Amino acid sequence: MKKLAIYFILLLFLFSLVGCSSNGQGSTKSLEEKTWKEIVETARGTTVNFYGWGGDQRVNQWIDEILAPSLKEKYNVKVNRVGMNIDDILNKLLGEKQVDKKNGSIDVVWINGENFYTAKKNGLLYGPFTKKLANFNKYIDKDSHDANYDFGFLIDGYEAPYGKAQLVFIYDSAKLSNVPRNYQELLKLAKENPGKITYPAPPDFTGSAFIRNMICDIVGFENIKDIEPDKEKVKEAIAPAIEYLKELKPYLWMKGEAYPATVAQLNNLFADGEILLGMSYTPYLAAGKIQTGDFPETTDTFVFENGNIGNTHFLAIPFNSPNKEGAMVFINHVLSVEMQASKYDPNNWGDLPVLDNSKLNEEEKNVFENIKLGKGALPQETLLSHRIPELPADVIPIIEEIWMENIPKKGE
Amino acid sequence: MKVLQKNTIYLNIIIYSVIILLIFPLAVMFMWSFARSWPWPYLLPQDFGLRGWKYFFNPTSKALFTLFLSVLLSLIVTIVTLVLSIPAAKSLAFYNFRGKAFFEIFILAPLIVPPIAVAMGIHVQFIKLGLADSFLGVVLVHLIPSLPYGIRILTNVFQAIGEKIELQARVLGANWWQAFIFVTLPLIAPGLVSVGSLIFIISFSQYFLTFLIGGGQVVTFPMLLLPYIQSGDRMMAGVFSSVFVLTALLFFIIVEKTIKSHYSSREYFYF
Repeated sequence: MKKLAIYFILLLFLFSLVGCSSNGQGSTKSLEEKTWKEIVETARGTTVNFYGWGGDQRVNQWIDEILAPSLKEKYNVKVNRVGMNIDDILNKLLGEKQVDKKNGSIDVVWINGENFYTAKKNGLLYGPFTKKLANFNKYIDKDSHDANYDFGFLIDGYEAPYGKAQLVFIYDSAKLSNVPRNYQELLKLAKENPGKITYPAPPDFTGSAFIRNMICDIVGFENIKDIEPDKEKVKEAIAPAIEYLKELKPYLWMKGEAYPATVAQLNNLFADGEILLGMSYTPYLAAGKIQTGDFPETTDTFVFENGNIGNTHFLAIPFNSPNKEGAMVFINHVLSVEMQASKYDPNNWGDLPVLDNSKLNEEEKNVFENIKLGKGALPQETLLSHRIPELPADVIPIIEEIWMENIPKKGE
Repeated sequence: MKVLQKNTIYLNIIIYSVIILLIFPLAVMFMWSFARSWPWPYLLPQDFGLRGWKYFFNPTSKALFTLFLSVLLSLIVTIVTLVLSIPAAKSLAFYNFRGKAFFEIFILAPLIVPPIAVAMGIHVQFIKLGLADSFLGVVLVHLIPSLPYGIRILTNVFQAIGEKIELQARVLGANWWQAFIFVTLPLIAPGLVSVGSLIFIISFSQYFLTFLIGGGQVVTFPMLLLPYIQSGDRMMAGVFSSVFVLTALLFFIIVEKTIKSHYSSREYFYF
């Protein structure tokens, strides 16, 4: 008996050694030579595993009930949506990279910013692939800043745009008649309503974006966009903004000694009527929340007169995707007029389209214009004309660090 | 007599306050699953809606299928854990061998060492072995937090019933298999129910290990639940949490009822 057990264990170890070397070459080599038609043909009948954030029921529903059936019908490609946070996805890919696993399980990842930077730097992504996509070539403005840089980082064809987001402030028009249009007016509002304003603490994504937004409003985007990721230099450049946040602090919710940990908590406080301003990096979140009944009917949104920061979110293909053809067809379909328009509809998701308006014909333009935005949504033109690009990805953690050192400290 | 009555009153107060403390948060959670808007300072939700439950029962959300898969997974983990724990617990309870004290501590190691530290290494090995992203891999990794409880509690159960009754059966001519099936198993059955229920809950609520080893290919119920809690969608979180609690409760009741009805007439001298 004992001997048998030992043999069994030895056998297991043997398997573990064999496991490393047995995976052969995938079809990636020929993929570069394939034409778009051939790619679509190869993708037929396959399943695409789409990994991304799964915390928004409406986004999940859009993918499951509109995108997936449409892909199935048009290309006979099935979609398996897996809700997973990007940190976990990257950890999984890093683990697989470490042991050089050639056949992964993720075909498409929803990604942007510093995560894209990390993924690309570590060789976790396949590419460049965007030039292969028919709709990318047809509809995307390839010279625009948004199509080339993701948080100041060169994209290089390793990810294709999915949608655009922008920071907006949310307020209840029944409770607040004059919205603050710049940082001074925000301070004034906070002084008039002590304890009724706050923002999520970084590293919450939206809280961090709020701080960058204030920095851009006070210092000016032009003065900070090319800054080196050096702590002393950043500190000097954003000093006026830090001074401002210090001045604002005593008038905040809980006297600025505690901050909501996430934007979700902030917006729940807003929904419960405890604070005057909510915020979201999804510009039409408020429109959606009015429909689900979380926010009152009188909810509306606004941006600063000098603009709010916005970014683009992207889709990428992991290095070890077992179905790269299917992934390309998936991404290509996301870039179609039909999908971008239904994604734009606040009844479904309310995410800004990424297509270049000047490349659309009249009929296609009408598709977008016919979508009713409803209550609580700013028109696309307003958002795009008040849009500041994101700061470089490597400066963001430094800003968060400086905030941590200066603002939440007690006894100031 | 009076003293006794007074004691019962105190006891009742304690029991009911504990029950209320346990039930009250669950009731709030259940109400959130229907609440469209529940602003402070209202005691009850101001507006009701079915968005959460509609989504839950909508086939495209795969919530029901995931729930079924999750229960199946936890059942398998429970059975495997029990099968492995019975012989191990029996050895620890009755036999003396070299290094017994060491093994008794060693078995508890998964409770002492944080799972994250070990799981990362296991993940890499599982990728090499082809067990990552597979159902089998998730079952195996769930055994890590389950086995210590299984073995530890069953050891105490075995110690409580002692070896004598089984030996009696052997003396009367039963072979070890018959002795186990007809004598030992019925004796430890109530213990198995408690341990089994505990292990089911442990496996059913695993998030991190399932996530890491299952890699999104094996999706369990907590993996649908967590994103909604993180994103602060209180209605969805209410729906999924309610189903989570109800499932665990239902499992308890079913197991408890079936076993109890089987053995209702007998009494046990341990516990």
